[in-house]
Amino acid sequence: MNAIDMGVLLGLLPDFGTAALRTLALLAAAVAGGLLIGFIANLARELGPPLFARLYWVYTAVWRGVPFLVHLFIVYFGLPSAGLALSPFQAAALTLAVYSGAYFAEIFRACWRAIPAGQIEAARAAGLSRRQVFAVIQCPQALRAAVPLIANQAILVLKESALASVITYPELTMTAGRIVAVQFTYVEPYLLLALCYWLLAAAIARAGRLLARRTAIDAMVKK
Amino acid sequence: MNAPTLLERLAGYLPLLAHGAATTLLVSLVAIAAGFVLGAALLGLSRSRARLAAGAAAAYVSFFRGTPLLVQLLMLFYLPSAMGLELPPLAAAMLAMTLNSAAFQCEILRAGLASIPAGQIEAAASFGIARRQVFRHIELPQIARAVWPAVVSEAIDVVKNSAIVSVIAVADLARVGRQLVASTYRPLEVFMAVGVVYLVMTAAIFALGSWLGARMGGGRAGARRIVEQAAGGQP
Amino acid sequence: MNDTAVPMISVRGLGKSFGGHRVLQGIDLDVRRGEVLTLIGPSGSGKTTVLRCMNFLEAYDEGEVRIRGALLGYRRGPDGRLLPESERIVAEVREPVAMVFQQFNLWPHMTALGNVMAPLTLAKRMPPERAQKLAMAALARVGMADRAGQRPGSLSGGQQQRVGIARALAASPEVLLLDEPTSALDPELVDEVLEVIKSLSRDGMTMVMVTHEMSFAAEVSDRIVFMERGRLVAQGTPDSIVYRPQNERVRAFLQPWVRRSLAGRAEPASINPAP
Repeated sequence: MNAIDMGVLLGLLPDFGTAALRTLALLAAAVAGGLLIGFIANLARELGPPLFARLYWVYTAVWRGVPFLVHLFIVYFGLPSAGLALSPFQAAALTLAVYSGAYFAEIFRACWRAIPAGQIEAARAAGLSRRQVFAVIQCPQALRAAVPLIANQAILVLKESALASVITYPELTMTAGRIVAVQFTYVEPYLLLALCYWLLAAAIARAGRLLARRTAIDAMVKK
Repeated sequence: MNAPTLLERLAGYLPLLAHGAATTLLVSLVAIAAGFVLGAALLGLSRSRARLAAGAAAAYVSFFRGTPLLVQLLMLFYLPSAMGLELPPLAAAMLAMTLNSAAFQCEILRAGLASIPAGQIEAAASFGIARRQVFRHIELPQIARAVWPAVVSEAIDVVKNSAIVSVIAVADLARVGRQLVASTYRPLEVFMAVGVVYLVMTAAIFALGSWLGARMGGGRAGARRIVEQAAGGQP
Repeated sequence: MNDTAVPMISVRGLGKSFGGHRVLQGIDLDVRRGEVLTLIGPSGSGKTTVLRCMNFLEAYDEGEVRIRGALLGYRRGPDGRLLPESERIVAEVREPVAMVFQQFNLWPHMTALGNVMAPLTLAKRMPPERAQKLAMAALARVGMADRAGQRPGSLSGGQQQRVGIARALAASPEVLLLDEPTSALDPELVDEVLEVIKSLSRDGMTMVMVTHEMSFAAEVSDRIVFMERGRLVAQGTPDSIVYRPQNERVRAFLQPWVRRSLAGRAEPASINPAP
């Protein structure tokens, strides 16, 4: 096995640093967008007419049933022929946001369901409207319960973001591939690449745990 | 002669897509089956009292669950050639997907074992039943029912993940799609057709999995559990 | 009925802590052959922990538990200290003791018969034919012989607990430990289990029971022990503990039960404050 050349490794750090920032930018955009889309989808399902519940089911089933890579191809290679040409970052961020939105929506749905029906009944009996129940009874508890699940999903989004390399967005994986092709060193770039993702995932997990602890309420429903 | 209609074009894609789908299913099946065996072995290792074995298993699971599959695939494809070993793309694909799935299945099995109420184990111990017998007669028989929804979820994930092997030139469904686009210049309809085929495959796995889950004695509750498990699944 | 020989179970100076929290302190207790001993007391008094120490489901920290004279869970080192004993020896020492659990703890993938047979075939390595005979006899003893082929999932709580009792009986134990056997049951299912326990006591089975069923405890026990905050506070006959409590704290503990009994049933003559 080739020995790991620390000199080479250190020399890679600047490139990997910028690439990591790009990965984080993609991650942030995708998670923010995905949370928004997922929340709206769940809200529509909870408060809207039955049609919205059916649309919700179609959205979550279809988007989660097709590989992310195919979604990416459709948006980046397919949409231009329909008039919408996006940059690699735009395509990756948009596609990943809508894709992860389906998963966030299901997380929200599960957390909404976890609130005991008795609490809803009591609120309705006391005269609260469905919207008030949603905002005042369900949201505060369900969103807190969702924090660890959202953190876990964010890690999955991080791993999926590596596919943006296939449509030439210069994030971590593409950068490592470029360096390998140019410099003909395999071991250091790929090891550093794996390490970067592993560290980022650990950081997200840590942040999730801290946030969960900060926002926890003792007598709350545990998911 | 008239240009072919959409329907005619789609019909023309079908044989190639079918070939690609077959490769996808082959790679997925190998990954799931071999991943199960390896995952079970990993679980056994992680429960061993030898700290080195348990630590190695934990490191393995942490690495393969904590890094992207694409990175694992690239490492397994390119690193051996740096050492002088030529690994054919299909073999590298099957290997990467197996190693990856094994880590997830190890955790699925671990959760399944932990879900068996501790009281049952306690009762067995109180009657003098040895640890190994408890595993064989009390825990193992209940494992299948306990892990089934998560296994179905993992099978669906494996099929979806398999699209990644297209980047190292394995002729799976995704790659066939790219080849078709290169020859027809119709990316939108080709890739949407590819998407539909994947959707059919994952939906079929889900339906089969739910039906089998219900037959395993979970009844309606078993099928419902699979739906809920799928809700928490990974991209 | 009283045996002058070694007591079935003997507890001396028993102490146990969970984390930093002291759960048992200085418990001294003897269980004689053929007697029914019941532990009562408020939640957290440690009564279940004492029971679980008696078959080493919990490892005690101080004192001794002896089963028919043999030290349970430990052996004496050369300096007199307690050293952990091997699993095999522990299993041997506690072999005459069988437990019935509050949550039944049946194995859901086996039939009732399978549940009762498993300890015999797996732990005692009995040939299946003999195990089946003993198992069917035990099931008949608790009135579950006709449901031997059913799985726990299709049995009511009371039926499941009776299977649990059969499972404990099949190995012909010398002592039966019952940990709140009816606490997890719906009220209408409690009686069928109490009936089985009553009939076992009539047959002379040695039993140690933790229960909240005060009338039942008074009816079936030879001796009742009242525990509070990890200590043994009072013990005596049902009369001196339940019907005519002589200890102030016992009386305070039983007050809600007395009130409820007086409200609903014709037992007032037995409930008299101590003179």
